Amino acid sequence: MIFSFNNRSATANGSDRRIARRRFAIAAALVAAVVGTTLAFAAQTQIFDPQTRKWVDYDKKKARKYYAAHKEVPEAFKRQIVKFRTAEKPGTIIIDGNQHFLYLVQPGFTAIRYGIGVGREGFGWAGIVRVGRMEEWPTWTPPAEMVARDPNAVPFANGMPGGPDNPLGARALYLYEGDQDTIYRIHGTPEPWSIGLDVSSGCIRMNNDDITDLYSHVDVGAKVVVLMQGASLYKGV
Amino acid sequence: MKNFGWDHRTRGRWHAGLALAAVASLASGCMSGGPAPGSVRNTAQTAPADLQLACASAAATALGVDSGKVLPVGSSQLDAQSYQVDLDAGGARATCVVDAAGNVKSVTKA
Repeated sequence: MIFSFNNRSATANGSDRRIARRRFAIAAALVAAVVGTTLAFAAQTQIFDPQTRKWVDYDKKKARKYYAAHKEVPEAFKRQIVKFRTAEKPGTIIIDGNQHFLYLVQPGFTAIRYGIGVGREGFGWAGIVRVGRMEEWPTWTPPAEMVARDPNAVPFANGMPGGPDNPLGARALYLYEGDQDTIYRIHGTPEPWSIGLDVSSGCIRMNNDDITDLYSHVDVGAKVVVLMQGASLYKGV
Repeated sequence: MKNFGWDHRTRGRWHAGLALAAVASLASGCMSGGPAPGSVRNTAQTAPADLQLACASAAATALGVDSGKVLPVGSSQLDAQSYQVDLDAGGARATCVVDAAGNVKSVTKA
């Protein structure tokens, strides 16, 4: 399988998903022809363990433990202003899934950098899209496939109202390609420990404070550049 | 036992001095070195995002392609000072070399 749509954040109906699936399949075939063999490598976040003085994999277990002990994510994943030399206009969003950073371009060759959680292996994607719409405390509607396989999703088949337990968190930016919903979102999360990990089904997750901050700086129509993550196939631009 | 001329008071002051020096050394980080606790890194040696975008921008100009149609699709570190960025430029493949300061060294259509 080259792409999966069992995305927790997805709200598109079955017909939309079939169209999107076909488009992604075509894009993937084009990529195979144009790019040739896709290099496979596993990008892994690591954290320095001061006790063993070694770099260790920052996996789910380690991330939960770190968050429980510090009540925050590691310093690199905290919101901060960084130098960012680009010709992209202020207000453009750049997503670097490999490094787990989202940049919001600012004037003066700077950017606000946020830590993010991204798609797990096989769920990454890349492309140039735009913010199609934005919502505060969005409703989450699990896709039919998820409802079919996960009994916990059944009560929310018709939508889970926004709130602190909602998987989309405090805000959601819905990503569109032209007028078509890509079914991907940049959204908050009730699992702030997951920032820095490859955990989602393709959506970009941020902690609720950060997505609220980003939401306050972004307008509908903002350009979003999603850089290639790992060996994932990308949908055409 | 041979007496080196140190009475117990002198010896005590010397030991205290040693202890203080050790504490000061640890506090200043001289003996710790290495990354700070909680430092993170990624095993993927990809080019920084802004350098990838610099390549995309340069490729759009060099290849006469709309900048909205050029997307970095892969990158790697060549050496301490330079990166290679693979690009999809409107369906064609291109390769770019950029240095750590953001200076694009070359754009080559594959």
